[in-house]
Amino acid sequence: MDSRVRDVRITTEEDSMTHLKRRTVIGGLGASALTAPFLTRTAWAQSDEPIKIGVVTSLSGPQEFIGSFVLNGCKIAVNQINAQGGVMGRELVLEVRDDRANPADATAAARELIGLGAHLQIGTISSAVALAMGPLMSQEGGVVITCGAGSEKINHENYNKHVFRPGDGPYMRMRAQAQLMAERQPEVTSWTGIIPDHEYGRTTWAVFVDGLLEFYPDIAGVQPEIIDPIIVPYGAGDYRSFITQAARSSAKGIYNSTYGGDSVTLFQQAKPYRLFEDRILMDSANEFIVAGALGTQTPPHWTGIHWYHETNKGNEMSDQLYADYVEMTGDTTPMGWLAEAHAGIYAYAKAIEKAGSTETDAVISGLKGLVWQTVTGERTMRAEDNQAIKDVELIYIEPKPDTEKGYAVTDYVKVEGTSVIEPPSPGQAVELRSPT
Amino acid sequence: MTGELITIAFNALIWSMATFLIASGLTLVFGILHVLNFSHGGFFMIGAYVAYTVLEQFGATVPLWAYLMAAIVAAAAMGTAGAAVDQVVFRRLKNFEGVYVLIATYALLLVCDGFVKLVWGLNYHSVSPPESLLGVLFAGGAILPHFSIFVVLAGLLTFLVLEAVLNHTSVGRTLQAIAADPWMAQVLGINVSSVYRWTMIVGFALAGLAGGLLVANQSLSPDLAGIFILQAFGVVIVGGMGSIRGAFIAAILLGFVEAISATYLPSYPGVLFFATIAAVLILRPEGLLGRATT
Repeated sequence: MDSRVRDVRITTEEDSMTHLKRRTVIGGLGASALTAPFLTRTAWAQSDEPIKIGVVTSLSGPQEFIGSFVLNGCKIAVNQINAQGGVMGRELVLEVRDDRANPADATAAARELIGLGAHLQIGTISSAVALAMGPLMSQEGGVVITCGAGSEKINHENYNKHVFRPGDGPYMRMRAQAQLMAERQPEVTSWTGIIPDHEYGRTTWAVFVDGLLEFYPDIAGVQPEIIDPIIVPYGAGDYRSFITQAARSSAKGIYNSTYGGDSVTLFQQAKPYRLFEDRILMDSANEFIVAGALGTQTPPHWTGIHWYHETNKGNEMSDQLYADYVEMTGDTTPMGWLAEAHAGIYAYAKAIEKAGSTETDAVISGLKGLVWQTVTGERTMRAEDNQAIKDVELIYIEPKPDTEKGYAVTDYVKVEGTSVIEPPSPGQAVELRSPT
Repeated sequence: MTGELITIAFNALIWSMATFLIASGLTLVFGILHVLNFSHGGFFMIGAYVAYTVLEQFGATVPLWAYLMAAIVAAAAMGTAGAAVDQVVFRRLKNFEGVYVLIATYALLLVCDGFVKLVWGLNYHSVSPPESLLGVLFAGGAILPHFSIFVVLAGLLTFLVLEAVLNHTSVGRTLQAIAADPWMAQVLGINVSSVYRWTMIVGFALAGLAGGLLVANQSLSPDLAGIFILQAFGVVIVGGMGSIRGAFIAAILLGFVEAISATYLPSYPGVLFFATIAAVLILRPEGLLGRATT
């Protein structure tokens, strides 16, 4: 194992208890509980002590699988940065907590970490958690960088200057998918969706439709037909009733935004009905989850991905991340959330260097407008709404029985972020096109 | 129109029988031992993983006999786990209030979750249906996958066997006597403790059997424990706690509700399901075939 990987310093809840007790004793000497975190932050900003980054992510619960990539991405980035001398000569260390994909658990963990001096935090996957973090960070004086949280509200209705998204938001991702379809499949003009019954599912469909309505007329020269989507329950074991509904649809293109195990189940159950055989399947965000589970049974499909190492071959950062990840885990198919965490840690490092301080307001100023290098190329953190401008990556997966995994990526594209990102409108909802 | 009706009916039956397969063990244990086993979904999940491990040995093409064998292995493994759980957990709690047993079964669910993560990891897995069940049947414009027909038949067979054993054998009559009055059964010389143990073994084995039979066309992940369990509890509650026949009827009722809802109210998945449960509980709190308590 690479010594840089092995040497990463991570503290957990138990380790922190010792510090907490010591702090409690010191606190007993006169410092008020209210002001202690701020005093600590100032002291640390002026010292040579390690810079603590709080990782609040899903280490159990429904997003544990993704959380494992987030944590590994943080570890690798911290190792790489420390191996290069740290940030302003100070080492980065991680304080890790489990958010269980639950806003209450996440905010409790985040508050505790701020008390321990880790006011710069990262790792939010769940949209609900991301939306809960904003008010907490404002109140407690922290910053959080999300790692895959998809809600468009993060940089619109619920914009909060303490929350940053270094990855592609739903508006960029789904519109990039629609743009690609207009370019590659101009003959597929009728679309429906298989949409999970929650707010994010409906958002993905609404944004994809917005993209279809913009790009098909512009690129393919035709007005697309939008057919009402099939709304499916979250976490069901039997999707056949919904599959038969979709199979009756005249749509030639299907947009899927079910996720994880739901998609695996749905795709398997759809096979006898040949739902995807004569249709184009565009998948929102499953990356390699479906293909990894189904192997040769995977239907050919496009899917959005935060980072695909082959697309970014030649980018030294990307090649290094892939090599470090494989060395660390033995797994040769990293998911894109790894890169989101990696990019987030690098964003902190660059923002601290830019600001010359680890204090909250300074780091926020450093992050706003930050241009930094990542495994997917250069990104810009838009100052107006804390949304990164980055290229959107999409891959095409097909079953390949002669390969070890039973599937292969046979095509991949990058859609320029500036061509699909919405204009900034912090505090306001995005206005979307809808079929007349 | 005929095709649509057949499709609705068939989809309803698949949902019903898949759910009944899981609910049968749950309601059996409740009916005899009066234990609401929250961990049932966890053992269903482990049963599915056990079957997956067995079927992995056959590669991508699984023969039907191997699929059935894997389900039996899963049932046997979970039956054994049931014996262990009975010995280690339920016997120690037999003199405690029901709420402690309830908490213990929830703890067991967490143990199941951790066990799966430890042994099989976090990755998603899947199993293809047996090779001979990959085809489809066309009936009046409806598509009936062979594997789905297999699930319907498996659920029906499980119900018939349980019905026959519970109502037409001395073992079944003994079980009913113990369920009604364990103290009197003990006085009459019945080894209640042994019957409890075997009920637990059969209940857990049914969870494993369901996992093994339903493993194809499901995603295998640590989330699987919760996938069917909500609807299984719905079936047990609507059918009448502890009634196998009630669970079977409730499964069919709720299966039709689900299929009709998906067809005619596609934008509101699950609404009719919960509305039906609420309606039954209001009109008949003891469930369709449950006994009212005073």
